[in-house]
Amino acid sequence: MQFMLRLERLKSAIEALSQQTQATSQQAEIELQYALHWLKTAPPAATLRERLPQAIQPGQEIAIPPLDMPLENRLNSETVPPRGTVIIGVDGSQIPPDRHAIALYYVLQAGALVFRYNGQAPTPQQHAELHFSEQELYDEEGLLITGQLGMRRAIAEMALATALAEQVRAEGAPTPILTLTDGPLLWPYSGRSREERESLLPAYFAAFDRLREVGGMPVGFIERPGGKPLLELLWQSRLDENGQPRHEDERHPEAVDDELLMAHFLAPGERSVWLKRLSPMNEKHHEPAGHPIWFCYLNLGEQDLPVIARIEAPQWAAEQEGWSTALHAVLLHQANILHGNPYVLARAHELALVTHQDKTALESLLHRRLLGHGIITRTSEKARQKGFF
Amino acid sequence: MNDNPSSIPIGNVLRADIRSFVVASRIPEPEVPTFGTFVRAPIQQGKSQLIGLVYDIRLQDDPFLRDLAATVVEGDPNYEEVIRDQREVRAVPVEISVVAIAYGDESGYHYGLPPQPPMILHRIHVCTLAEVRAITTQPDFLRPLLENRDVPADELITRALLRAAPLHGSAGTTDYQDYLLTAGRYLARRLGREPLRLETILQRLQG
Repeated sequence: MQFMLRLERLKSAIEALSQQTQATSQQAEIELQYALHWLKTAPPAATLRERLPQAIQPGQEIAIPPLDMPLENRLNSETVPPRGTVIIGVDGSQIPPDRHAIALYYVLQAGALVFRYNGQAPTPQQHAELHFSEQELYDEEGLLITGQLGMRRAIAEMALATALAEQVRAEGAPTPILTLTDGPLLWPYSGRSREERESLLPAYFAAFDRLREVGGMPVGFIERPGGKPLLELLWQSRLDENGQPRHEDERHPEAVDDELLMAHFLAPGERSVWLKRLSPMNEKHHEPAGHPIWFCYLNLGEQDLPVIARIEAPQWAAEQEGWSTALHAVLLHQANILHGNPYVLARAHELALVTHQDKTALESLLHRRLLGHGIITRTSEKARQKGFF
Repeated sequence: MNDNPSSIPIGNVLRADIRSFVVASRIPEPEVPTFGTFVRAPIQQGKSQLIGLVYDIRLQDDPFLRDLAATVVEGDPNYEEVIRDQREVRAVPVEISVVAIAYGDESGYHYGLPPQPPMILHRIHVCTLAEVRAITTQPDFLRPLLENRDVPADELITRALLRAAPLHGSAGTTDYQDYLLTAGRYLARRLGREPLRLETILQRLQG
């Protein structure tokens, strides 16, 4: 096989990347010791809330402890998942619209696994949609949609989660019915587009409303979360009234992030206290809708092999201690099966996945149907030739 | 000879030659056909049906399954639902090998090799009991197996006869005994020069 990427030409860049990673890692190690100290000596939650800056700068991410629990608390789960508990893993995938395909369309597919802790085989579910109308394919500026597809997929996933939660609730499943999606629960887009404001966000929050009614607990799972909202909170705790560090030797952490901090703080199976991210999305959209998002960190790994995930849930679910306890136990069990990745999410991904072969089969069927209507279609010459490689 | 709605589809033809073919399937464990199952595949643009017997079943693994296999413990309640999911729900990749024994068209069943193998991606179905009864009325369906050295023919003959006999008479009845007796005589004629092989098959039939 001929390699198309001329690796020899990238050698110096690869070396530079390695050196940069090494330098960042060394700096992170130094900052980590400070951060661990800040965490273990953090002021009480109420004090931390009082010390927050009045205005959050755009792009700034900072967490607050919404409950009066010390930040240094590490919570363990002594229990196994309660018998009868249901967790529904949901994921989605898509075929994006392609100008070079035989027709302009897009496909969304949501897949789910309903996992009941009752000794029975789980139930797989799939829901696929084919969209092809002009209004669905072009945005308000007349451009072919790109980013909107991810948003619409999130809505499709949440709709499937809600429908399944309703179903298992009707079967008599106990609360909470956990619905686990892969990715943030806090709407990860700007919220500024007309489609988001008028259609997507209302649908998203309607799903939350319905889940709340049926005793569901929507949960977002983010492995390798990145970001440092907790570190920013800790840094704020180190500043005086003028916003200057109280200790001269302390600097704002640049290389360390929350994940690294938690990997050295949480033992396997432990989770942090609940935190709430102060972000424009949480404040301007989730809060007024009645669904502010809280999060915690959870170590789903083993000794010396930490796997840190950020777990997100709406406040009304997270603040119920019994629900948090059940979630903790279920996630530990699920992640233990697949070395840190929840089993239901892995299966949901498999069920949702639209493969290249699926796309080929769909286009073949479409081609035949169009031919039946006397319409001869073909992919663009560019797409055809790309298929050679 | 057309598709019978009551028969079970098991997968699509992956590769084939005139004597045998392989079916790729992703079906839950309870639906995987057993060794010696009679199946049929459309040939000649669906004008005929090739009849074959399942002689090998290979369960494929995949990276997901490999990852799980190192973790789960059968009998441990912690993994009960996961194991059932993998066995009963998740589509296990299976390759099913089938040996051709006959083909059927409007004029009836013809024993021996078919005029052509099934084409790629044709759907394969398990034969209905009525079809199995019709195919096995004469013991001639055993001939292609006796001549085929690439399959576990003796085991397959035994299994096919024990599967067919109850369709010609309930176990213990004269019809049942007569059916096996006729098949035994047929085998005795065909295997006259291989007495040890004949004896093994007959012992298995009695056993």
